[in-house]
Parts: sequence; structure tokens; C-alpha cells
Amino acid sequence: MQNTLYVPGNSWVHRLDPVSKILLTVVGLVLTFVLPGHLLPALLLAAMLVLLGTAGVLRRVWAVFAGVALIAITFFVVQGLVYAGNATPALTLGPLTFYREGLLLGLRLTFRLYNILASTLILILTTRPSDLVESLVRRGLPSRFGYVIIAVLQIIPIMVEAAGRITDAQRSRGMETEGSLWVRMRAFIPLMGPLVTSSLIATEERALALEVRGFASNRKPTFLNDETIPSYAWPVRIAALAVLLLGIAGRVMLS
Amino acid sequence: MSVIKVENLRYRYPRQTELALDGISFTVEPGEFVGIVGPNKAGKSTLCQALVGLVPHFYKGAIGGRVEVAGLDVHATPVAEVSRKAGIVFQSPFTQMSGAKFSVYEEVAFGLERAGIPREEMLRRIEWALRLLGLWELRDRNPFALSGGQMQRLAIASVLVMQPEVLILDEPTSQLDPAGTSEVFAAVTDLCRQGMTVVMAEHKVDRIAARADKVLVLDRGQVLAWGPPGVVFSREGLEGRGVAVPPVTVAARELGWQEPGGTYPVTVEAAVRIGGAALGRDQG
Amino acid sequence: MAEIRVNDLHFHYTPGVEVLRGISLTISPGAVAIIGQNGAGKSTFVRLLNGLLKPTAGEVLVDGVSTRSTTVATMARKVGLVFQNPTDQLFKSRVLDEVMFGPLNLGLSQEEARQRAEAALQRVGLTGAADHNPYDLGLAERKLVTIASVLAMETPVVILDEPTIAQDMTGVRQIGAIVTWLRDQGRTVITITHDMDFVARYFDRVLVFQDGQVLADGPAQAIFAQPDLLRRAGLEPPQITVLGRELGLPDPPLTVEAFVAQVRDMAKNGAQ
Repeated sequence: MQNTLYVPGNSWVHRLDPVSKILLTVVGLVLTFVLPGHLLPALLLAAMLVLLGTAGVLRRVWAVFAGVALIAITFFVVQGLVYAGNATPALTLGPLTFYREGLLLGLRLTFRLYNILASTLILILTTRPSDLVESLVRRGLPSRFGYVIIAVLQIIPIMVEAAGRITDAQRSRGMETEGSLWVRMRAFIPLMGPLVTSSLIATEERALALEVRGFASNRKPTFLNDETIPSYAWPVRIAALAVLLLGIAGRVMLS
Repeated sequence: MSVIKVENLRYRYPRQTELALDGISFTVEPGEFVGIVGPNKAGKSTLCQALVGLVPHFYKGAIGGRVEVAGLDVHATPVAEVSRKAGIVFQSPFTQMSGAKFSVYEEVAFGLERAGIPREEMLRRIEWALRLLGLWELRDRNPFALSGGQMQRLAIASVLVMQPEVLILDEPTSQLDPAGTSEVFAAVTDLCRQGMTVVMAEHKVDRIAARADKVLVLDRGQVLAWGPPGVVFSREGLEGRGVAVPPVTVAARELGWQEPGGTYPVTVEAAVRIGGAALGRDQG
Repeated sequence: MAEIRVNDLHFHYTPGVEVLRGISLTISPGAVAIIGQNGAGKSTFVRLLNGLLKPTAGEVLVDGVSTRSTTVATMARKVGLVFQNPTDQLFKSRVLDEVMFGPLNLGLSQEEARQRAEAALQRVGLTGAADHNPYDLGLAERKLVTIASVLAMETPVVILDEPTIAQDMTGVRQIGAIVTWLRDQGRTVITITHDMDFVARYFDRVLVFQDGQVLADGPAQAIFAQPDLLRRAGLEPPQITVLGRELGLPDPPLTVEAFVAQVRDMAKNGAQ
């Protein structure tokens, strides 16, 4: 059941522990907002794409990037047309004039968008959700919260399936689901009602099952899997922090 | 030393006026397989849950009497602790999957991790339980990708790794096909043979009659009958109270095919023996 | 009243993995039981009968009308389907309103829908529960509410998907009585079930599904007399039939009553 973005693999990024990867992501996100101009964000994006490349997940990265391409395009269009600081015309298409200042702003926003995505994908594409949550629980996150995070991921496809069954059941009783907006709105409660109820009932039943497996116990939990932190983890963390400090220092000096 | 002792158990759910359990008393010896049968709303599920403390700790409500399981006073002990001695398996295989683990192997580990069991011990118990339930080959599969029967066996394995003394099953084969039902009954019988005490609430009386050492018949929260299947199912008036009786027993009663002790056969094998003899006589 | 014709039906959810591999049969009014292991294609098959699923090859004709050419809601006038899990459809806070939902969808007036709903509730023995919240009822009674919901639509064909799960002896008899009533009315009732005693007692015709095909199709008597066939499908005959066969009865009976009658006959003849 592929319901997470995780791409299985054995690259150095995959084998890096989740906390180090969280650090990389945070560094990427901070630098995204700290680095000025156009060149530096572009370099940041290139660097992260190289990193993702070594993890062997570029195919999924392109898919995600393509998914938000429309947003990037609207940046260019909107800012190019109506940005307050527009002064220098750059491109004319019929009645529409795109201005240089706006287009450049659109470019900066696009870089920001893709840098944010790339930073988070470093973590998400290479880490199994259960491993991520487990490393947080080891460090003090209450395991109930950890459970909720994971369970939500697993529950989504289950709820999608339940919604399908419920729709089938109601259609079989003569309820129309296709047609005008009004028709669809009328179908809302007969569909949402059972979905919510069945989810609540399933939740209660699961809570019962978890209760008898000691979920509520206050003992300190142990872990089935050994946490393996590779030897290169610390060098990577130090390098990431160094880059972060450089970036911040550079920004401070340049302003 | 009985492993389960129930004395005059009475229980009422919150916001209800009637008693769900009305004066239940029985004892179970170690290694016994006890079946609980009766019509719907007789209190079968409630009794199962009372044996692990979900009633009253999870459901609240008013309780009276005494329930002792593996030496623990269930009313005075937290559910997490009782469930280390008495494991319970429910009707729906699906909602017993924790949803937190992505493989059968890790799913079984869930309760062990919560209980703080050391890692080497964990690995040993997981392999033991999975092999016992015939799930070792499926250990890398996602729990939600299993069949109903397999999922139910996984639920049993998850409970078994806690090494309880008692295994309670509340209508575990209700949603399974005949093959899945056979899997569960075979697994449970196997465990019993290895010394586990089993209490199972069921509608499939023919299977219970064939496997159980004792049967507890409930109706409207009270004990209607208690004893070996041959004795219990031979009693008059069960069907009038909505309690199912194995078809061979009903037939035997109609035809007067009795065991030497005066009871009627409750399994096909016994009915063949008695009936064969009776027919031989009639035609000889 | 309604005839269902299935012509060389094939179906897959994902290309390459055929779930139904060529089924051809005709279902005339009467009580038909569909048995077989999980995964054999039974639930998929009945969803093709009311148009929820459309054939990937072949066709399903209900009274001459292909399921491909109508919407599910329209087909719901002819074919009613009661789903396995009541939680997947209950959404009203009053049992009566729930049972009225179907008839109202079919375009009946409030008054007509109410009358039908009350009649249906009486048929399932839940008249006293009309004003209750469905979730205040037990699981088995909720199942009866969903059956009433479809009965109220008065479709010529009624399909029940595993109606006896979690029912006790009384509940099974009640559902059996409904099956018999529908059949006596000249309607078609199709049931998917694992309960062989239930099949033996209430159904005339049995379809055995295995691996997406119909392994056997015939009267219950004939099907349950073939233990090897049933074993291949992962099934067993009713307990009383097994007993009859082991005792060497010439025509293994399907019900306790038939068994007792046969044995008494044998004894009488033997004594002569």
C-alpha cells in the first residue's frame, strides 16, 4: 500500500539517521529565506538537487516539481503584470505587458518555492515514516503522538476505500451522485455521515485493541529496531551547520 | 488452582437500566478450552471484556462481584497489566491492526515495545509466535494486505507474544470464510494443547461442541448451563431460549440416539457411532 | 418478474488481473445462493448485477436492459443490494427515516414511502424500533434495518451480501423467513453466504464460485452431494449432510427434519 512519499533505497542519504536529515531540511529552509538575489538561491537549489540525485530519488522529485509548476507559472504571470515596482517592460503579448521587475520577482519566488520543496523532500523521500517517528520518540516525543502521526498516514487510504464503499451503498439505494452541483450537494450527507461514523467506530475499536496491548502503559518503551547512526552523520551535521552559518553571515555582511 | 474465577459477577453499562451480566459464576482450570454461547445480547462480549478488565475500566458503568484471572483481581488492576496475563482477540481483524506498523513482523512487536521488553527477548518471542501461527513466511507483508484469516491469526500472534496465561476470543471467526474459520480454530486448539487456557465466545456451536472442554451458555446476562458440551447441548429447552444447538444433536434427540450416559452426541463422529449402531439394530 | 442474463462476463479492476473469467448464466425468479471462498469473485459478481461495476467484456442484462446503458440509481429500481456492513450506509438518526431513504430516492411521495417503510420494518420484526436511532440498536438489528431499507424499495431482485454474519439463531431464522417470503412472492433473491446450514434450508439453487468462475451450478441437493467439489472450493457441506453420508443414507439430507424423516422411513422399511 503505497501511501507515503517514501522511495525505498540504500543511498547514503537513506542510511543517514532521521535527525541528521531533519537538520539538513531545516538548514535548507532557513537558507531559502536568508539567501538574497537570484544566483545564490539557484545554487542552493542545484546543490539540493545534486544531493537528491545521489539518493536516487530524482524521478519522484521531478513529479512533485511538475505538480506545482502551475503555481510557479502564476508567480511569473501575476508579478510580471501587476507588481507594484514594475517599471521596465520586458515582454508584450497582445494587450498584456510583462515587466522586468515583476518577472525577476517571479523568478525569486519560484526559486523559493522549489527550494522549500527540495529541502523537505530530502527528508520525506528517503525516510520511512515509522523510522522518523521512532527517532523522535527515542528522543522524548511522547509515543502517543508518534502513534497518531503514523496512524493518520495509514488511515488515509483506508478512509478513501471506505468512502468508495459508502458511495456504492448509497447509489444502490437510488441516490444519484452525478450531475448538477445541487445533486452532488444532496449526496453529501449520505456520504459523509457513514464515513464519519464508521471512522469513529473503527477508532473506538482500535483504541480498545491498543489498550489491551498495553498502549496506555507508562513504562519506558524499548525498540525493536536498533538505531544505526552512520559514522558520517556527525561530519554531515557539522558541514550543514557550517553552511548555515556562512549563509547567515553572508546575508548579514551584505546588507 | 483455577486460572479464572468468576464469582457472582454483575454489571450494568452506563445509561442502561438492565444488567448486562446478572450473577455469573464459574471457574476455569489451566489448559481448558471454554466456549461461551448464547443469543445476541446475552452478555457474551461483555463477559469476555470483563475477564480482561475493559469492563469496567474502559466502559465505566456499575460492577459487582469478583473476577480473578491468573491471580489478579481484575477490578482492582489496570487493563495494561491484566492484558499481560490475559490476552483478548476481537471480532474484526481489521481494527485490531495497530495501524502504526508496516510489516507483520513489526506489528507483532508493538505490544512488546510498549511493555519495555529487552530486544533479544523480543526477537525470540516474535519468531516463536509467528511460527506458531504459521505467519513466519508472511513476516514482511503489510498487515493490511493480509486475508481475513491471516489478519486474525496476526491479531492472535500480537497478543500471544505477551505470553499470557489465558487467551480470550470474542467471536473471532464472525467475519471469516470457512477456510479462515478453520485456521483460527486450528491455531487455538494447538495453543490449548500446549497448555494455554482459552475462552472463546462463538456462534458456531458445531465447532465449539467438537473442540471445547466446557461450554457456558448465557442468556440475558445469566448462566443457563455450564458443563461439558455433551451435557450442555443435550439439555432441553435451549433452542426455545434462542440458543443454537449442533444439528446432529437435534437430530439425535428426535431419534432417541443416546450416548451410554444419557446425553446426546454433539459431534459428527459420535453421531455416526451411535446412529450407526442404532440403524444397524433397526435393520438387523 | 425479472430475469437476469449474464453473457460471457469478464471483469478486472486492474488490467491483467482478471477477477471474473467468463461467466454465463440466467437467473430466474427464485432463491439463489452464491457460495465460495473469499477472493473467488462473489462480491464483484453481484456488483455487476446492479451496475455498480460495468463488465470489461461480455454483458449483464436485467429484463433485457444492459447494465452498461443505465445508471446505478436507475438500476436500483430493479435490483436492490444489501451491503455486508451496515455502518457503510446508515446515516439517518431515525430508523424509519433510514428505511424511507430508498423509496424517496425512487420518487415516491412522503406518505407512500412511509407506508412502504413501515411494512418493511414489520417484515424484519423491527416495528417497535422505528423511532430509535439505528446506532442504539445492536449490530444484528442494524443489519435488519439495512435489509428493510432495500425491501422498502420493492425491487423484483434482492441481493443480500453475507446477511447472517454475527446473527444468532433467531436472527438467521428471521432472515431465512424473509428469503422464503421473497421467493414465494415470485421475486428473485440472491445471497452470498458462508453459512451452509442457511443455504441448505432456504435456497433452491446454488452457484459455487472459484477463482472467478462458476465451478458448479445446480440444486442445493445436487451440490451438497459432491463433497470433493466443495472441498476444491474450500467449503464443506452442512453438518447434517455429512452425517447422512457417513451413515450411508442414499440421498444425504440437507436439513435436520429431512434427516430425521429419512431415518424413520428407513427404520420402518427395515422393520418390515
